[in-house]
Amino acid sequence: MNTRTGITRRHLLATGTAAFGASAALGLSSRRALAQSKVSFQLSWLHSTQFAGSYIALQEGFWREAGLDVSLQPGGPNAPVEPPVVSGSALIGISAADYTAAAVEEGAPFRILGVAMQKNPFVIASLAGNPVNVPGDLEGKRIGMALANTPVLQALCTLNGVDIDAIEVVPTQYSPQPLVAGEVDCLLCWETDLPVAMTIQGVDNVTMLMADHDYAVHSQTYIATEDSLANRRAEIVALMAGEVRGWEAYRADTDAATALTLEMFPDAGLDLETQKLQAARQVPLMFSDLTDANGFGWWTDETVAANIETLALLGRTVTPDLWDRSILEEVHGA
Amino acid sequence: MTTAAAFATPRLLSGVLRGSLLGPLAAILLWELAAHALTGAFVLAAPSAILVYLSENWALMGRALGVTLANAGAGFLIGNLAAIVLATIAIVLPRSDALIRGLALLVFCLPLVATGPILRVVFGPGPWPQIILAALAVYYTTLIPLLVGLRALPSGWLDLVRSYGRGRLAALVHVRAMAALPYLIAGLQIAAPAAFLGAMVGEFTGAERGMGVLTIRAMRGMNVEMTWALAVVATAVAVIGYLVIGWVARWFLRDEPPIILAPPPAPGRNGRWFAALINGVVITCAALLLWWAGLKLLNLNPFFAKGPWDVVTALFTAPDAAETRSTLAGALGETAVFLVPGYLAGLLAGAALAMLIILVPAVAGTAMPLAIALRSVPIITTAPLVVLILGRGALGTVVLVAIMVFFPTFVACLHGLRQAPGRIIDVLNSYAAGPFEQLIRVRIPAMLPAFFAAARMNVPASVLAVTVVEWLATGNGIGSVMALSASLSDYDMLWSAVAVVAILSALGYAGVGLLERKVLRAYAPEQLL
Amino acid sequence: MSVPVVCAGLAKTFGGNVEAVRPTDLAFAAGQTTALVGPSGCGKSTLLRMVAGLEEPSSGSVTIDGLPPTDILRKAGLSIAFQDPSLLPWRSVRKNIELALDLARRPKEARKIEQLIHLVGLDGFADTRPAELSGGMRQRAAIARALATEPALLLLDEPFGAVDELTRQQLANDLPGIWEASGTTTLLVTHSVSEAVMLSDRVVVLSPRPARIVADIAVNLPRPRQPDLARRPEFAEIVDEVFAALAEGIAETLPKAAQ
Repeated sequence: MNTRTGITRRHLLATGTAAFGASAALGLSSRRALAQSKVSFQLSWLHSTQFAGSYIALQEGFWREAGLDVSLQPGGPNAPVEPPVVSGSALIGISAADYTAAAVEEGAPFRILGVAMQKNPFVIASLAGNPVNVPGDLEGKRIGMALANTPVLQALCTLNGVDIDAIEVVPTQYSPQPLVAGEVDCLLCWETDLPVAMTIQGVDNVTMLMADHDYAVHSQTYIATEDSLANRRAEIVALMAGEVRGWEAYRADTDAATALTLEMFPDAGLDLETQKLQAARQVPLMFSDLTDANGFGWWTDETVAANIETLALLGRTVTPDLWDRSILEEVHGA
Repeated sequence: MTTAAAFATPRLLSGVLRGSLLGPLAAILLWELAAHALTGAFVLAAPSAILVYLSENWALMGRALGVTLANAGAGFLIGNLAAIVLATIAIVLPRSDALIRGLALLVFCLPLVATGPILRVVFGPGPWPQIILAALAVYYTTLIPLLVGLRALPSGWLDLVRSYGRGRLAALVHVRAMAALPYLIAGLQIAAPAAFLGAMVGEFTGAERGMGVLTIRAMRGMNVEMTWALAVVATAVAVIGYLVIGWVARWFLRDEPPIILAPPPAPGRNGRWFAALINGVVITCAALLLWWAGLKLLNLNPFFAKGPWDVVTALFTAPDAAETRSTLAGALGETAVFLVPGYLAGLLAGAALAMLIILVPAVAGTAMPLAIALRSVPIITTAPLVVLILGRGALGTVVLVAIMVFFPTFVACLHGLRQAPGRIIDVLNSYAAGPFEQLIRVRIPAMLPAFFAAARMNVPASVLAVTVVEWLATGNGIGSVMALSASLSDYDMLWSAVAVVAILSALGYAGVGLLERKVLRAYAPEQLL
Repeated sequence: MSVPVVCAGLAKTFGGNVEAVRPTDLAFAAGQTTALVGPSGCGKSTLLRMVAGLEEPSSGSVTIDGLPPTDILRKAGLSIAFQDPSLLPWRSVRKNIELALDLARRPKEARKIEQLIHLVGLDGFADTRPAELSGGMRQRAAIARALATEPALLLLDEPFGAVDELTRQQLANDLPGIWEASGTTTLLVTHSVSEAVMLSDRVVVLSPRPARIVADIAVNLPRPRQPDLARRPEFAEIVDEVFAALAEGIAETLPKAAQ
């Protein structure tokens, strides 16, 4: 594992130096010669360390060297990712396998090009004094979540033989407050946001990662349209290559990545400690033996099969065609 | 004179201190104590903690405020200019009046939750969705008083213009424009906080900075001080905006802006049903045409841009039409459970408090300006607070809707109660009738027009409130269906929900208008032309 | 400058069934002042508004100098003053007078406006807003505005109706001389018989609604008329004649019991 990282980093350094050398040799004219093509990249949430790998790629010029002028578009609670990608105003978007599957059912010609979060970030968060450590612990508990996520809970229960009728679902906003106030015993949320907030606020909490209990849904997936894949392939490859380099650098030093995030987005209201913890917690979700072996964003037929199975439980029928690994293969030189 | 003034000032000051400062001071003290008692519940931030937060983060807050204010300001300008242009057209071409009102109401009833993402797709990155949402939030509340003001003038003034052989345009330029100014100002006062709200909601569609961005961050991060600090700043901005516009108005109008903000109900005498029907058909056709042409002109991708025909298909002829209808009906039912009690409670509470103040006039001095100011607090900031305090059950939502309805109703009713003709009050006094009897016999009938005007204008406002709360806090009802269908790319459902909500709001508005005419025919026939 | 006015078969019915003015034939000679007298609500104002082109006749026609009123309006050939002075509250006296010139698309000559303000007795109030003027002063301003465009036809609808009796007499003494001097054709609607006799060359008496001509009485009293004219027997004679005609009109229209 270590060796692999070492090689990748050395490889990164080498290409970086080479690129630097080239541009230094050619001087300013070279930059003009490399006509910068403008590319929009639609993120799935507000700017935060969640996308710090992309910020590194932008800041370090990984994209600029490849002739891409990338603008990162923040998302938000009322900002769906799919429409700008469908309409072509964004070349690539950050979605998730379940949302992508829904959009494809509605006729969007999407392909998944890469998987940033190998493990789905959904967790059951609970207080240390009354923990949910395994799915079976859910029985007899009150869970706070958006009713819209009922299929997610249903899928978890089915996968683990838990009786969902034994769980009391309380509709809540996406906030840790109901758990802290004792209105519910646990929350359905992301590993990287509400539990982090509680920890920072000094609330002792435990999380049970649903991905560790067979809930296999690729998250933070890169999507593009079939049309873009056919006609703007070079830009997509360059963009994904930058992403891969950015996230490898992120993994090497999440604190530095977090510092960069706060520096680039001073108006986003980000708290350094919260963001540091979030960045660290994100690493095990994004990097695994699989990515160590094959590179960032990778998947195999087995993980896709597991995804198709879980997605079916969520009411989404998809085929392995949804995943298109050709871009990653080009990036990683496989 | 001078001595009297000098003598009066300290007394006046102490009166102000006792009357209007003591109450708020006590409230702040209670707030502080309650917050300390509730530490650990992550609900209430003490005023002192809010001050500490603001003093430590003033630069961040200031930058966010600057961004949101700039967008709100641009939207305020655009929305109000649009209102002025529409009102001008309606006056110069009186035949277009009903159409303009109808379409304006329909557009105002479009839920922000759904228009936000659509605007983001149309305008792409940048501040435009924020600006347009701010403009959409203000134009109607300016248009309506403006239309009233442009007509609220003695007929002699118009005869004067005509007697020199001049037409509607000259009347508009020389007479109506200035006559409508106080009404325009009243509309602008309401518009200032609404623009701020619109800009904040706009930031939810993907923005890098601003008060809305920080609000999301604070809620997710369980940062109670930040949540409350944001609410305090937004409220202060809204109230200051309201006061500044009022102050500027007094400075050059030498008069208070009028308070009634809704027109008298459209003339709908018996036998005019046919005309009303034709009117409805014309408005519907125009709306459908605009919808269809808008999609064509903007050349939007059919994946998310659904036309009228798509919605009809989704609701009636598609294989899953029955399922779509039942989803919508179920969600609307859930919403109605919060909306209707909240709306009624807000109306009743507003009217009741106004009456109480008439019976106990000592309170009025502070209550009225306070209520007028609080009317401008944006729901985006109150929603998290009310839900924090009251939880996300039915109570929280009902209370939020009630609060949204309460303040405008209270202000309008108090104004109406005070409109009671002095001579009739004198007649009752001459029979030694007590204040209660005066209230029942004279003041309440005098209040009815204002009450109903508020009730009508509050229909779209309460729909906005309930959908925002459902979307941001409770996660059920039609607000949640709209948010969810956007994230699941179910745009047939989203557009269907938008269409249904807009139509139901407009019908609700018309329904209240109908009831209003029935009641006013009995109590205030002079209000019906 | 003055113009003749001819009403031929002029009638007005409101909302299809409320008859305000019966078909009426009337001619007003150029340069003459004619008073229209009748009980309140008899339709005399409607008649005046039809002459002014503000109200469309149900039948019949009005011609002013051989042209329909709309043509005269377009040339700003007439002015009208109402019982309510209809001054715009946000404009000063001077600005209100200027408004008439603006609307009539005439040049605004400061000296003429100043002179007009002087003639109506508002010296020193040129820059005062209506709210700070007394009722009588507002009427003076309204008359000044009506005269500013030097109209060939002046229509006065109860111009001194909204002020107290003393002020009314004062205005009736001070103002008519101004338009009489310009020789304009003047139509005056009033319900004050003595005012009608005092100011006009001819009094047309109308019946209660619907308006119909009951009497057409010439006032052959010498001009300029002084206030003491009202105490002279020939004045009283005409006044009596007008009152008699008014009473006759009422008697004919209303059933006896209603009196």
